[in-house]
Amino acid sequence: MNLWLAASVGLSLALFPCAFICLSTSPERRLVGIQMTGLVLTILLVAITLACGYLPFLDAAGALALCAYGGGLFYARSMEKNP
Amino acid sequence: MTPHEFLEATLLAGIVASCWIGVIGMIRMRVPMQALDYLSLPACSGSILLVAAVFVHTGSSSAAWKTVVICLLLLAINPIVTHATARALRSRESGYWKLLPDDGAEFIPAGIRGPNDRYDQIVTAGPRKV
Repeated sequence: MNLWLAASVGLSLALFPCAFICLSTSPERRLVGIQMTGLVLTILLVAITLACGYLPFLDAAGALALCAYGGGLFYARSMEKNP
Repeated sequence: MTPHEFLEATLLAGIVASCWIGVIGMIRMRVPMQALDYLSLPACSGSILLVAAVFVHTGSSSAAWKTVVICLLLLAINPIVTHATARALRSRESGYWKLLPDDGAEFIPAGIRGPNDRYDQIVTAGPRKV
C-alpha cells in the first residue's frame, strides 16, 4: 500500500460522518454536510488519482469541485426561498 | 524512509488531519451557522497541503498544475458558497438576512452623518435575542 492509498483510505473514512449528517439531521445541517462532503470528495478524488497513477482522472476532481459549487449554491438558494 | 517520502507522508497526514478536524468540528457544532466555519479547514489548509504533496510526489508536472487549478477553485468557491449558505440560514431563521431591530446591534443607516456617509454601519453588537 503506498502513501497516497493510505491517505485515500483515511479520507474515505471521513465520508461516513458526512453521510450521517446528510442523512439524519435537520435540513440546515444537511446543507452544511453536503458541502463538506463535496470538499472531502474532491480531495479524495485527487488522492485516489495519484494512488492509482491514472492522471487524467484529475479532471473528474475538477468537475466535482465545480458541480459541488453549483449544487451548494442551488440548495442554499432554494432553502432561502422555501423556509 | 527517505526525507522525500517523509515530507510526502507528513503532507498527506496534514491533509487527512485537516479533513477529519473539519468533519468532527462540523458534527460537534450544534448550530449550523457555527458548523459552516469548519468548511474552511479542508478547503484552505487541505487543498494547499494537497498541492504541496502533489508537487513533492510528481514535481512540476501537468498533474501538479491541474491540482493547483483545483486548489484555486476550492479557495475561490468556498467563501462564496459559505456566504450564500449563511445568508440562506439567516433568511430561513428570521425571514430577512439583514440586521433586524431585535438583533441586539446598534445600526446607523447610510447618509445620516453627511453626504459622504455612503455605507451602513454597525456600532456595537450585543448578545442576540433567541
